[in-house]
Order: sequence, then C-alpha cells, then structure tokens
Amino acid sequence: MPLSAYLIVSALLFAIGALGVLIRRNPLVMFMSIELMLNAVNLSFMTFARFLNSVDGWMFVFLVLTVAAAEVVVGLAIIVSIFRTRRTINVDELNSLKG
Amino acid sequence: MQNLTWLILALPLAGFVALGLCGRVLPRWLIGLIGCGVVCGAFVAAVVDFISTLGMPATARTVDTTFWTWLTSGGLTVKFGLLSDPLSAVMLLVVTGVGFLIHVYSIGYMEGDAGYWRFFAFMNLFIFAMALLVAADNFLFLLVGWGGVGLASFLLIGFWYTRPAAVAAARKAFVVNVIGDVGLMLAIFLLFITFGSLAFADIFSKQYVVFTFAPHIIAPASLLTQIVLIPSVTLTAITLLLFAAAAAKSAQLPLHVWLPDAMEGPTPVSALIHAATMVTAGVYLVARCAPLFGAAPFTLGVVGVVTGLTALMAATIACVQTDIKRVLAYSTMSQLGYMFMAESAGGFSTGIFHLTTHAYFKALLFMSAGAVIHALGGEQDMRKMGGLRHKLPLTFWCFVAGGLALAAIFPFAGFWSKDAVLGSLLARGTENHGAPLWLALYAVGLLTAGFTGFYTFRLILGIFWGEYRGGEIAAAHGAEAAASRPRGGDNSGNGKTARDPLARVHEVGRAMSVPMLVLLVLSVIGGAYGLPWQNALGGFLQPVTGAAVELVTSNPLFYVNMAAGLLAALAGFGLAWRAYGARAASFIPSRNPLVVAAEHRYYIDDLYDVVLVRPVVWLGVQLRRGIEGATLDGGTRGSGSLVGWSSGVLRSLQTGYVRNYALLLFLGAAAILVYYVIR
Repeated sequence: MPLSAYLIVSALLFAIGALGVLIRRNPLVMFMSIELMLNAVNLSFMTFARFLNSVDGWMFVFLVLTVAAAEVVVGLAIIVSIFRTRRTINVDELNSLKG
Repeated sequence: MQNLTWLILALPLAGFVALGLCGRVLPRWLIGLIGCGVVCGAFVAAVVDFISTLGMPATARTVDTTFWTWLTSGGLTVKFGLLSDPLSAVMLLVVTGVGFLIHVYSIGYMEGDAGYWRFFAFMNLFIFAMALLVAADNFLFLLVGWGGVGLASFLLIGFWYTRPAAVAAARKAFVVNVIGDVGLMLAIFLLFITFGSLAFADIFSKQYVVFTFAPHIIAPASLLTQIVLIPSVTLTAITLLLFAAAAAKSAQLPLHVWLPDAMEGPTPVSALIHAATMVTAGVYLVARCAPLFGAAPFTLGVVGVVTGLTALMAATIACVQTDIKRVLAYSTMSQLGYMFMAESAGGFSTGIFHLTTHAYFKALLFMSAGAVIHALGGEQDMRKMGGLRHKLPLTFWCFVAGGLALAAIFPFAGFWSKDAVLGSLLARGTENHGAPLWLALYAVGLLTAGFTGFYTFRLILGIFWGEYRGGEIAAAHGAEAAASRPRGGDNSGNGKTARDPLARVHEVGRAMSVPMLVLLVLSVIGGAYGLPWQNALGGFLQPVTGAAVELVTSNPLFYVNMAAGLLAALAGFGLAWRAYGARAASFIPSRNPLVVAAEHRYYIDDLYDVVLVRPVVWLGVQLRRGIEGATLDGGTRGSGSLVGWSSGVLRSLQTGYVRNYALLLFLGAAAILVYYVIR
C-alpha cells in the first residue's frame, strides 16, 4: 500500500479525535478523543519509520504512549476530585475561571 | 599597641542593635544594664586607649589602623580605618565618659517612661555615631558619623513623638543639620580634587603651598609627596564649607535655630547633645582640620567674627529667657562660640580644652535642671520656681558648682578654660603690633563673660532663692513626660491634704545623684590638666593641632587677662543679685526694646519663617495643586485606567469554557499549518 493511505487514515483519526474534544461535554469522552489523536500521530510515526527504515519513529511512539498513560492518571484524578466537590463533571459547568 | 578603638565603636552599636531588636520584651533592669553597660565598656576601652597613647613617645602617638578597604573607584580609595591619636583619644574619653554618666542618670530620669528601651537604643546609637565621627581616619567615615549623629539627635529630640512641638523641633534640627552636611560633602569633594585622597594621613601630613596665581614652578616629583600646591581660593572655599558644616552642628549663626528647640527632647538628651556629643562635633572638626584652617587666614577671620557674634547674641538671649532649659541651651551656644573663637585665634587645643570642661559643667547643669524639673512635676519656667535650695540641697550645690564653672569663677574648671580662650584671643590681638579684629573679639569675649555671669546667677537665684512662686506640685513623679506615660493611681492624694505646696518635692534617687556628684567633682577640678603654667592637654594635642596661640605666663598681660575675665563674671553676678537676689526675684516683663528683641531671639526664627519656610510651604501647596494634581497624577492615573480598560476588553476572551480554549488551540495550530503549507 502507498504511503498516502496510511497518512489519510492517520489524518482521519486525528480529525475525529479533535472533533470529539471540541464537541463532547463529558471529560471522559474528551479524554478518549485525546487518546485517539495521540494514536493518530503514533500511526504516522510508525508509517514513516517503516518507510524510512529508521527506529526514530518507534522511540517517539514509546515516548508518546508513556506520556499518554501518565496524563490519563493525572487527568482522571483531577476529574474524580472535581466530581467530589462539584457533583458534576459537565465541562460547560466548570467555568469558574471566567474572566 | 593594641588598638582598642574598634571596641569603643562596636559596643554601643551592639547595644543599639540588641535593644532595638528585642528591647520591647526585655525587663527594665536588663535594658538599663545593657544600655549603660556597653557605654561603660566603651569608656573603659577609651581609658585604656588613652593611657597607652600617653605611654608612647610624642611622635609615635598616632596609630592608624586600617580594617578593610571600603571601596576603590578610579583614583578614589577609601579604607575603613580607625585613628588613635591624641585628639581622638581625648574626644573619645569625653564622649564615652560623660555619655556614660548621662546614661546612668537616664536610668533614674526615664524610670516611668513607656519608651524606656527605645530611649536607650537611641542613646547607644548616638554614642556610636559620635565615636565613629571622632575616630574615623578619613573624611568619608567622618561624614558617616556626622550623618549618624544627625539621625540620632533627630530620633531623640522627637522622642516623645506624640507631641507636635517635639516632632517639629526634631524636623527643624534635621533640616538645619542637613544644610551643614551638604557643606561638609562639598568640602570633601574639593578636598578630593585637591589632594586626591580622603585620608587624614594624606591630607594633614603635607606642607601646603598656597598661591593666588598659578606659579610657573616645576616641582621635582620627589618633592610632590611632601607638598601640595593649593590655590588660595580653593583652600578658602574648603575651610569655609567645613566651617559651615561645623556651624550647623555646633549651632553657630546663622544655623543655630535648631538648638533651643531641641529642648523638646528629654533632659538627658539635652545633656548629651549639649555636653558630650553633637554640638562638640563642629569644634572637633575645626580642630581636626587645624592645618587647613591655619593656612587660611581669611576663613579664620570669618570664623572669629561669626562665632564672636554668636557668643554675644546667645548670651544676651540667655539673660532674658525664663525656661531654665532654654537658658542653658543659649548658654551652650555662647560657650561654643568661645571654643570657635579660640580656634579662630589659632588656639585649636584651647578650643578642645574648653570643650572638655564645658562637657563636665554643662552636663552637670542639665542634670541638675532635670532634677529640678523632675521634682516639680515637669515645670520648666523659673518664674514659677524659687526657694528650692532647702528642699533640694544636693541639686542646689550641684547647680551652684556647675554655674560657678560656667561663669568662670576661680578655681572652677571653666575658669581655666575660659581664661585660656580669652588669653589666646588677647595673644593673637597683641602680637605683631596688634590685630584689631582679635582685640575686638577679645572685648566681645569679655562682654560675653559678663553676660554669662549674669544669666548664670539669675538662673541660680531664680530657681533656688527667694520664695516659692509656683502652684502645688500634683505628682512629684510626673516629670516632663507626664503626657506621654500611662498614669497610675499614685496621684490619689492629689494635694487635698497637703498644706505645703512643696510637700511632695523630693531629692533625686541614687541613679541620678551619683553621676551628678561625679560631674560635680570634675567641674571643680577638671581644669587641672590645662593650667596655663603646665598646659598638659595643649602639649598632648600638639602633634595634631599644632602649638596653640596662648598667652604665656611671662607676658605682662597674663594676670591682667585673668583678672579681667573674673571681674566681668563678678560684675554679671552683682547685677544679677541686684535684679533678682536682694528683692524677691522680679520677673516683670520689660518694655525695653533690646530686652523685647532678645526675648524674641532677635526675630531670627521669625525671619526664617517669613523668608524661607513660608515661601517653600506656599510653593509646595501650589505645586500640589497645579503640577501634581493635573499633570503628574493625570499621567499616572491615565496610564492606570488605560490598562484597566484594555484588560476589561481582553477579559471577555476568558470564557472559562474548556472547549473554547481547545477550539482556539486548534484554530491556532491550523493557522500555523496553513502558513507553512502556502508559504
């Protein structure tokens, strides 16, 4: 398969993730969308790694996976504590930083 | 020799820091102990220093210890060094010795004051600043001490800061002193330009070649290390500026106005300012710069005229004042005039001699006056005193001894020093076929001696003689600080039962009487080290100040001068007795224009008020209205409200919705992407 096919799939996945982040109100779903975007990027990294015969892309993928895992841990903890204090996790109601 | 001068500085500084930081929580006895202990330690160090200086040969008595280099900038190198030479040693003895006695006296005097710890902290700061002033080995650190003394006096004069008069007096003292500080600074700049150094050792060890027009001399380089070529204009400017600084500190015309107002401080402060520290700084400065002044005859003439006028003017004002502390304040001005007059005639060590004896008897007089004020519950007006000699015998005798020394009655300390002052004026006036200026100054000195006798005995008679003229003493313990301290219930027996208005008057406690007795002894015998036949002090100071111009004992005028000074004082005594002693003292307001003028201090304060103070205040008000309100504030407030308005616009961007931020993020990223694609 040509290189463009992989990249188109990657771009589609990224767009779906971005839309999810922008549209959905549930932070859990937003998290999933973010994961989708990260994995879209991972896909393009792997693609280029294969086509260029280089391991650099692999390394970035590992890095991204690790960071994503850590990010989910922190993010979920924040969500839990927000839910405990506010009894809601609807992001549209979490606007106390309004200027 | 172990130079202990640093200890004299470090101890009072440590006391100031300790009391200033934690005096609030310390018990009173400990505050008194620290406050007096550090000064006592400094005094012991000064004594050791003095004795070791005395033990060395006359040529090796100047020990200049450099501790570290303070700054190096281009050609200017200033080192922090302390000087131990005869002049410094004598000054340090007086400053710490009399200062210590005043500290001990303060334990009794300030007993009930709420600001006890603050008082001792400031007093220690005062001693430190004065010690730095007299022990510095260069002009920069002299200036530091000079400014420190000004600061400490400001703090102490305004010690009772709830009284508007005290605050005003403190401000006045500070402002007038700053004028002198500026003079000193300008003099220092000129000295640096001329000598390329600020160290005393570099400036005073040279031979000065004074010229009016630039000489076409090419001096060999080896000679330039010993001589300095100075234009006479520069030298005159330097010395005049130095004298301006000295006049501000030592309350000479026309910068004397702060000293009488400084009476608003507690009486021990007055004693400290008038006797040991502060006002003596000017006399010290001139004596320290004796080589410079000696080479500038024009300046010496100016000094003589100005200080002669001050001495006479202050003595006449003292003759009509009724506030006992003010009388003493003007008397200090007058005596300082004497010291400067002696210095202007070339008797630099004579000026220092009078400084030391004056320190004893003036401190004694202030302490005795404080005891009277203390006993009378804060009364300072001698029209409401009288007849106190039986009630306060110790204070009476102390006052009499101090007064006799002040009026220069044989054989009290003041007699010998004032005799030496007048003698140096006469010697200068009669040498080389006579110098009219100095003869005129001699006449002024004699006249002032007469006035001195008059106001001294007027004071003694007014306070201690005749019948008591005041009202009932409410609370014997309420000293002048009555308003500033919390009143306990100790004035319950508020005179309802007491028949005798003086029933509550009592003699001072031991903390106050012991220092007074020590000073009493010093006032009597303190002149012993400056007797004209065996002038020990003059010889001791000679390496620093040069040989004094003095009336040698073989001079036929010697005894004439002595008798003239004594007669003048006795004449003043007689007049005072006629006016205030024989009859029950009469303090009737006089209509004599001269007396009225003197009562109003010759309208000098009013003149300053009209010429300087009011225009400046008016200018300030106008500037505040016109310039500050519209222009300066407009700019400041305008820029402030501009920021407020623009941030009001920008804050609408902060919606608080996560998705808005995310959208902006994506749009931004997209925009960057688009930019790179189409570029």
